[in-house]
This record gives sequence, C-alpha cells and structure tokens, in this order.
Amino acid sequence: MYLSPDKRVDLATAVSHVRDGSMVALGGGLSARLPMAIVRELIRQGRRDLHVVGSAHSMDVDLLVAAGAVAVCEESYVGFEQDLGLAPAYRRAAESGTITLKESCCVTILTQLRAAEMGLPFLPVRGIKGTDMRRLHPEYAETTCPFTGEVLVAVPPLIPDFAVIHAPMGDMFGNLFLEQPYVLDERFAGASTAVIATVDQIVSTDTLVERGVTIPGYFVQAVVEVPFGAHPASSYPNYAYDRPHMAQYVKAASKPETAEAYLAEWVLLPGGEDEYRAKVGPESFARVSSWSESIDQWKGLFE
Amino acid sequence: MSDYSFDEWYVVRLARTITDREVVFHGFGSPCAQVAMYVAKRTHAPDMMLIEGAMYAINPDPPFIPPTSNDSSLKRGAAYSMRFEEFFDAAIRGDVDRMFLSGGQLDPYGNTNVTAVGPLERPKVKLGGGGGGCNISATIQRLTLWTTRHRSGRTLVAECDFITDIGHRTPAGNRADLGYTGGGPQWLVTELGVFDYDDDGRMRLRELWPDVTVEQVRDATGFELSVADDVCEVVPPSAAELAVVRTIDPLGVRRSEFDPLELARRFELVPAPAG
Repeated sequence: MYLSPDKRVDLATAVSHVRDGSMVALGGGLSARLPMAIVRELIRQGRRDLHVVGSAHSMDVDLLVAAGAVAVCEESYVGFEQDLGLAPAYRRAAESGTITLKESCCVTILTQLRAAEMGLPFLPVRGIKGTDMRRLHPEYAETTCPFTGEVLVAVPPLIPDFAVIHAPMGDMFGNLFLEQPYVLDERFAGASTAVIATVDQIVSTDTLVERGVTIPGYFVQAVVEVPFGAHPASSYPNYAYDRPHMAQYVKAASKPETAEAYLAEWVLLPGGEDEYRAKVGPESFARVSSWSESIDQWKGLFE
Repeated sequence: MSDYSFDEWYVVRLARTITDREVVFHGFGSPCAQVAMYVAKRTHAPDMMLIEGAMYAINPDPPFIPPTSNDSSLKRGAAYSMRFEEFFDAAIRGDVDRMFLSGGQLDPYGNTNVTAVGPLERPKVKLGGGGGGCNISATIQRLTLWTTRHRSGRTLVAECDFITDIGHRTPAGNRADLGYTGGGPQWLVTELGVFDYDDDGRMRLRELWPDVTVEQVRDATGFELSVADDVCEVVPPSAAELAVVRTIDPLGVRRSEFDPLELARRFELVPAPAG
C-alpha cells in the first residue's frame, strides 16, 4: 500500500522506478487510454528487456517494440484492428525472433490477475485444452477438481512489477477516475506491485469524488499530470483518438528506417512531453477534443 | 436503393445467423460481425442482447460505427455497460449464446488460427492474436465463423498452423472429450458461400452466392469440400435490412474487411412480392 499523502512527481521521476527487465502491465486497450506518455518516457530513458502484459493493445506495445525495449510480450492481441491492420514493429520482431511470444487470452490473464489479488498460488481456468496455447505457456499445468474430478488448466498468479495507467482525472493521493471500459486496469492495480499513473488533469479530491473513484490511491506509487498523456489514443471524456496520427505511425513503423525516424521525430525529444505536445500542436488537440460538439463532428474525426 | 454491393449482402447474411432472444457478442476489430448484430437487432431479432465487442455496452444505439472498437460512440444509448470481468465471466460460465469468430486460417472442424502462420518460433506472418477467443470459444453456446478471404486459397486449410480458438474437434479430442459445454461452430459465412457443420463437426457447403460456383469454392478450399444435397442460393437482403446497414455504418467501416474485387460485386434489388 502506498500511503504518502502527495504522490505528485515529474514524469521522468515516476517512470524511473521501472527497471530493465521489469514486468509492466499496460492500461487501457486498443485505441483507448493507452499510457503513451509513460511509453514515450520509458523509451527516452532507454529501458530494455521489458516483459509487457495486457489484453488487446496497439501502438503502446508496437512503439516499445520498435524502440527495442521489449523482450517478452504477453498480450492477448497487438494490432490496429481491421482499419490499420497488423502491428508492424511487433510483427517484424516476432517474425525475426527478437521478442519472446507469450501471447495469452483475456480470460486467462484475468484469472491470473485474480490469483495475484487473492494471494493464491494458482487458479483453474476453463478452456485452453485442445488449443495450442500451452505451447506458448510451459508454466501452465493441470489440476483435478477435488469435488467433481474435472481436469482443468491451472495458471499461476501474474504479478506485474508495475501497472502503468493513464486516466482522464486524478488527485494528489493517486485516486483515479476512469470512464468505461476500464478494461483490466482495476485488476492490474490490485495485482501489481505498484501503479504509476498519468492523468490529463489533477483535481481536488472533492472534485474527483463527484466523478467517482475507479482506482483507489493506495495502489498508486506516483501520479503525474500530463495533459493529452494518452495521445494519440483517446482519453474520454476529454478527447477521441487521433486516427490520422496513428495511421502516420503505422505507415512509419512498416520499415525499420522509417520507424527510427518516427522515434527520433516524436519520442526521443530532449524537451520530453512538453516538446511532444508542441510538435503535435494545438490544432490537432482541438480537433480530437471537439468530439462532443455534434455527431457530425465526432464522426468526422474518423473519416 | 435499386442495387446493393456484396459487403452489404454479406453482413445481412451474417445477421441472419442470429436468432431472437440470444445473448450475442462480437470480438473487437470485427466490423462485419458488428454491423450484422445491429442489422439483426433492428430487424428480426429485436429482443437479442447485443454486447459491444470492446465497450461491453448492452444494447447501445451508436450514431455510427467508428473504425476502432474501443470508442465511446459505441456505448451511446446503453443503459448499462458490463465490466470486462462481467462479460468474460458470463461467457466462460456459458451465459453467452453466440459469438462471432474469424481467423487467418480456419480448418474443416472450425478451429481458427489468429496467432501465427508458419512455425511459431519464426512465423511467416505474425497475426494479431486472439483476444479472448481461446477460452470462451469452449463455453459460448454457438459460434458464427466468418472470413472474407476464402478466395485467397490460404484461409480454409486442412490444418491450422496454430489452434488459437477451438472448433468441433482438435487432435486432443472433441468437445465432449475435453469437457466443453459450448456447442462450437454453427455457421461459417465466407465471400464464396455459407457452410454449416455435419454430425462429425466437418464444414459443409449449404448456400452459394449467385455469382459463385461450387467449383470456385472447391478450388479455394484446402481440403475435400463437402456439399449438402440441397445447396441453394443465399436469400437476397430486404430493403429494410439494407437500410439498417447504411444507417448504422455510414463510414463503411465494414468494407475494410474486403478486397476491392469483392467490393465491386453488385446485385439488383428485387422488390418483395406483394402480399
């Protein structure tokens, strides 16, 4: 439990807790609430050999892989859906054998996180038998139900060193408000050794309580105010995802040289997130923030 | 609305695999299945429970289908959104009636591969991964499989290089052997035809699109094609079904699943006979 009354630090300090080889659970999912400011800072700090875990993710994992920061990938999906297709850097690394694939399944990951939260040495899970998933997971075993005799797959607890989570709003104690879907973020918070959070805005506890606390601050080691800290992912109710920027990334990541150029232009910036926001520019931020003006405006963001 | 395109008819046929009062789920990144669920909900299956694929919203009324499954537009109008845990708990305990599943490879028994084509250590193509499909394909009551890449000849294969989601049987046994309560694949809808599964769990051609021949299906299928005695043409869509497709998906997100060749297929709308 993290009981400091004020967890506010700068981004570099917060992210410096993560070490080479750490197991890192990435919050959010697909194009929503990805902890992109933390991902960019991990890359700026030159972290290596990370073991990333999560459900269905996209640019957060792909960018870390493009930067050579990942050794093991234990996500249930990495890609850009039908719209932008397969994840280019992830695909290249997997096909050349430079990352270890421990692809998993949402229910299995959820079960392993629940075992961690309950302090149990294992839990049984339905499914998996008959599929090839255990080829990726030699750590799984089988267990026989003492009541019915049914044989089930047994999975060990998953205890990430860090859950890195972006929230639209939080307070100085690290209480976080999220909009649904919370995806696995609540379970990550409970199962991980520590949560490192970025928020678009730090507000008073009274204001936060009015919106509702989704993740309690006692799980949170550090909280950093980073406006647009999920960009180019969405952080509703504040902003939609920046599809043109994601498309630009996917195109860049398709070749090693252009992936390097993307990292140089958008990530490895001496001025960190301040410089990133200046490069993205107020027009792009105004655009993704305008989703609530009208249905046509919202739809227009995705045309 | 005097004619319509293949992608519109295709999602209508997918919609018709849904029956009323089913609890139905589509995975993320599955716009054809997603659009099909709204078509069913707004035409023949008004009392189905529609669960959005990454929002877990129940019966939302989205203003449009966005190109990502995790967007707030997809929970508009929903009185309730499940938590991730609530949806997956319901699916794994058998309370979800139907799920749509696809894959880079599908075998005759409806096993699907969304993990990797080629050897696992050095894949030829690393696919995105299965999301939640591996566990819940065992327990969801009925599966509608679909692919828009049958014609490639690389999708319907004798054996999947990796089984991510389970069909009717694998080398480890059938569903009864494995203790699985879900019924497995019921339908497979491809851009060449519509298939069901026989008593042994093998896929069988049941319906053909009018511009496709049995020979074309056979040539594109990587194993011996079983053909039902009563193969018929796919029933054309109604004006009401086509209207839902166009209303719910004004951005045409479903079209991202098709090759341009398939999108060029067009058909004349035949008015329903009076009375």
